[in-house]
Amino acid sequence: MDNLTKSEQQELETRLQKRQVKEFMTLFGGLVDNCFTACVDDFTSKALSGRENGCISRCVIKSMATQTRLSERFAELNQSMTAEMQNKRF
Amino acid sequence: MSMFGFGARQPTSAEKIAAVENELKMIATMHARMTKICSQKCIDATYREGDLAKGEAVCLDRCSAKFFEAHQKISDQLQSQSQAMAGAGGGGGFGI
Repeated sequence: MDNLTKSEQQELETRLQKRQVKEFMTLFGGLVDNCFTACVDDFTSKALSGRENGCISRCVIKSMATQTRLSERFAELNQSMTAEMQNKRF
Repeated sequence: MSMFGFGARQPTSAEKIAAVENELKMIATMHARMTKICSQKCIDATYREGDLAKGEAVCLDRCSAKFFEAHQKISDQLQSQSQAMAGAGGGGGFGI
């Protein structure tokens, strides 16, 4: 990135890697919260029912697809926004 | 030493790393907010289907574009408002 030296880049890299682990855990937690809330509402049994099981798998698949699609759009939009801001500056 | 102009003092390594890291953090936060909000607005939460429906996919595309546009608009508006306020309030000499 910008004008960082090699060692500074390495330091940034290790920090980002640590953050990535944290972010993955947050994502995972969010997925559990979201799909549990959306799919599980019957507490007459302590095991997940067939319906709840199916709902949860569909929820995970769909959430991943959503995540992928939004990430693609985000990358595009973020890039054009950055380009626009740089054009304004110079 | 650096009475005139900023940037006369070289930023330290830690400062430079922190600056890049903060920028990335801001982008990550914005991405997370957008994902949460657009999912809530576009995705049918009954999960009868595992695939993204066509309508949902299109909704996500439009939602993300609008989110960015709103972000830009609000940022511009805040900037011009704070500039107007700084101009009216004054402060002697060159704007600091």
